[in-house]
Amino acid sequence: MKKTLTIILTDGPYISEYAEVAYKIARAALKEHEVNIFLYLDSVHIPNRGQMPHLFRNAGESFEMLANCGATVRACVRCAAARGYLPDKDLSDERSSVCQDYHKGIEITSLYDLAEMLKRSDRVIALSR
Amino acid sequence: MRSIFYLLDCAPYGSEKAYGLLNAAAVSIKMDVTVGLFADGVYLALANQDSLALGTPNLSEIIYAYPEITVVAHEPSLVERNLMDQELIEMVMLTDEEEFLDAIRASHCILIL
Repeated sequence: MKKTLTIILTDGPYISEYAEVAYKIARAALKEHEVNIFLYLDSVHIPNRGQMPHLFRNAGESFEMLANCGATVRACVRCAAARGYLPDKDLSDERSSVCQDYHKGIEITSLYDLAEMLKRSDRVIALSR
Repeated sequence: MRSIFYLLDCAPYGSEKAYGLLNAAAVSIKMDVTVGLFADGVYLALANQDSLALGTPNLSEIIYAYPEITVVAHEPSLVERNLMDQELIEMVMLTDEEEFLDAIRASHCILIL
C-alpha cells in the first residue's frame, strides 16, 4: 500500500520559494506515494489563473500539473473567500468545489479536510515562514 | 490516537498566523491536539486580551472555546519577556524546556504554520 505525504503551504507564490519547493517534493513523491497538498492562508493565491511571472516557473501551472499527476490539491475555503476566490458550489452541499479563478484540478474545500489529511498521512511537511 | 503539535512562535496579533494555527487546531480535535507557545507566541497566553480596537478576532476566545486543545507555554520564553508576573489564561500550562521538547517528541506530527 502506498504511503501518503501531505504538504501544507501558507505563502503565496514567488514571495518565497516554498511553492516551488513543494512542487519539486510533490513531483518526486508522486512516483511512489500518494500526495496531498493543502493550501492555507496566503497560499490560496498559488492556483490563481493568468499568472505571468517573468523569471520564475508559473506556480499555478505547476500545481495543475501535480493535480494531473494524481496529487490532491485543496485550498481552504475561508482563506480563499477572504482573498476573493469563491467556490462554484456551496460547500454545505459538496465536500469540495472547483473555482473559476483556479487552475484545473485544484478545488476549494473546508478546513476539516486538512484534519482528515493529517489523520491519514504517514508524513506531513509544513512549509511556512 | 494520532497526535498533532502546532507550534506558534510569533506574536498572536499583527499577522494571520496565530489565527490560522488556532483554527487548524480547532478542526483537529478528533486527534490529540497540542498548541505550543514559544518565543513571541507566548503573548497568546496572556489573560484579558482585547482585540476590539484591532478589528480582529480575540484569539483567547478560541482557546476558551476548545478545551479539547492542550495549550502549553514555554516558560523560559515568558521569563525572557518579563511576563511571569502577568495574569495568564488559566487553561494554559507552563512547561520548562525539557517538558516542552518532550511534548514535541511525543507527537506524531509537528506543524509550524
